[in-house]
Amino acid sequence: MPLGSNIRYTVRSVVYLLVGLVFITPLLWMISTSLKFEHQVFERPFVFIHWDAVNWNNYSHVLTGTDFPVWLWNSVFVVIVSVVFRLLLSALGGYAFGFLKFRYSDGIFFAFLAAMFIPYQLTLLPQFISFRFIGLLDSHWALILPNIVDVLSIFLMRQFFLSFPKELVHAAYLEGSGVFRSFVRVALPLAATPLLTLGLLSFFMIWDQYFQPLIFLHSKELYTIPIGLQSFQTQFGKQYAMQMALACLAIIPVLGVFLALQKRFVESIVSSGLKG
Amino acid sequence: METAFNEGKRVRRGRAYSLERLERRAGLLFALPALVGFLLFVFVPMICVLLLSLYKVDLMTYTFEFKGFGFYDKMLGDPDFWKSVRNTLTYMAIYVPLTLLLGLGMALVLNGKMRARGVVRTFFIIPYITTYVATLVVWNVFLHPTEGPVNSLLMSLGVERPPQYMVDKHWALPMLALIGSWKDVGYHCILFLAALQGVSKDYYEAAEIDGAGRLQRFKHITFPLISPTSFFLLLITIIGGLQAFYQMALLTKGGPAFSTTTMTYHIYRSAFEFYNFSYASAVGMFLFLLTLVLIAVNWFAQKKWVFYQ
Repeated sequence: MPLGSNIRYTVRSVVYLLVGLVFITPLLWMISTSLKFEHQVFERPFVFIHWDAVNWNNYSHVLTGTDFPVWLWNSVFVVIVSVVFRLLLSALGGYAFGFLKFRYSDGIFFAFLAAMFIPYQLTLLPQFISFRFIGLLDSHWALILPNIVDVLSIFLMRQFFLSFPKELVHAAYLEGSGVFRSFVRVALPLAATPLLTLGLLSFFMIWDQYFQPLIFLHSKELYTIPIGLQSFQTQFGKQYAMQMALACLAIIPVLGVFLALQKRFVESIVSSGLKG
Repeated sequence: METAFNEGKRVRRGRAYSLERLERRAGLLFALPALVGFLLFVFVPMICVLLLSLYKVDLMTYTFEFKGFGFYDKMLGDPDFWKSVRNTLTYMAIYVPLTLLLGLGMALVLNGKMRARGVVRTFFIIPYITTYVATLVVWNVFLHPTEGPVNSLLMSLGVERPPQYMVDKHWALPMLALIGSWKDVGYHCILFLAALQGVSKDYYEAAEIDGAGRLQRFKHITFPLISPTSFFLLLITIIGGLQAFYQMALLTKGGPAFSTTTMTYHIYRSAFEFYNFSYASAVGMFLFLLTLVLIAVNWFAQKKWVFYQ
């Protein structure tokens, strides 16, 4: 490569890198502020990090002086239970609609798809009333149950099983397995990749949910991270450095999962998006 | 499960013709959890919403009183409702094109020759994966009208009266749309990038031999070939725009002066602040209808610009 174009290439890359950094400025500012004292939050001139006096107290206070650990546990619990049941239901449903088929299965599935256009705020209204009626309000199950049925997830599993090789399953039948056993032994292991994809996408989506806990939960000890964050923000509106430390801690789990599985995550989005 | 299992044994004895019947029967069983779940959490709630919008509900006694289209009448005569429709459409008018164009632009950048592509891509995706409420807590301080870093930068650059963002009724809604785009654009970027990478280099080489310029190449090769992805993303963005809620709930509470009360926030307030579930359901039905209309319009319009290979 000639020298001139090599320089141009490098310069262009540096520019893009800077654009990328500008794009996440709010998050960089969050990290910076979370390590400051309250009186330094709006300081001028701006200092990214006071290396000689980093204030870790915001973090220790958030971890010990607030309910953050409880929210974290609640979020983890709700997300994991929701995702496990969602995967189970989607795998079974996807196998039924995509591979086994039954009378009117395509028609029924079409009705499923139409439901994707229903605003979630709409179905939450009767859900709220019925949960209130049966006394499920203010419990984690109010968050988990509606999450288990996800049309998009069933759709994605169906797409996978539509092209699943019949010979593999039929071979299992010949060896004496019933439909259920051949599903568990043959189909499910081979569906590990799409299931992992789905699990990952669902993890991020459910982790983010704010509207559901906002309307379903009252007790603070049941709060998940998003609603806990909001309650902290309302309560300590002026403690900005503390808020930033809390926001930082809220982001770390998802960011960790994302960075660890970035390649797979990108593939997940692509495969779910292009088929959908 | 037991019957399906036993029938499996029958198959082994060579009655292959019953295989399909057996699978059909097992299929229904396999689909049962999904069917029940769908009935309980989608179908029945939809019927309930429809009924809810026609009946007045007393949540203390769970008594219902038939009102016909009374709540729809009330809704259509409510200036607040029409403001919320206008706010939603304004939000969409900014959010939808901005997210699509920005996503495409970022994907084009990543698709070009560059170093550190992985790092830049990560930067672009990070807002999409981070916890939304956490980023909104950050934005809230970041755009603080008097002391926030954005405005102190603007003031140090000599801007005497920088915008007031969330407390200015002309700025609030566009800012919320901007934040919505910022949050979601990583998703668009990834999908556009995948589509761009799927375009064969041969087309570009052929076009270059024919003397086509950059713009022409984009218009005649890139755009048509990624149009299915663009169409999919357009639908996703429309749905996302119509359902936007988090920014309003966290940053503005629908204000100032109702300027950021979109339809979703209007539904939320009507139901959970004023406990008027029937009115909220009527607005929700309208939102659903609006979604269907917008999807249908785009579905028919796609013939004009979407190119399937």
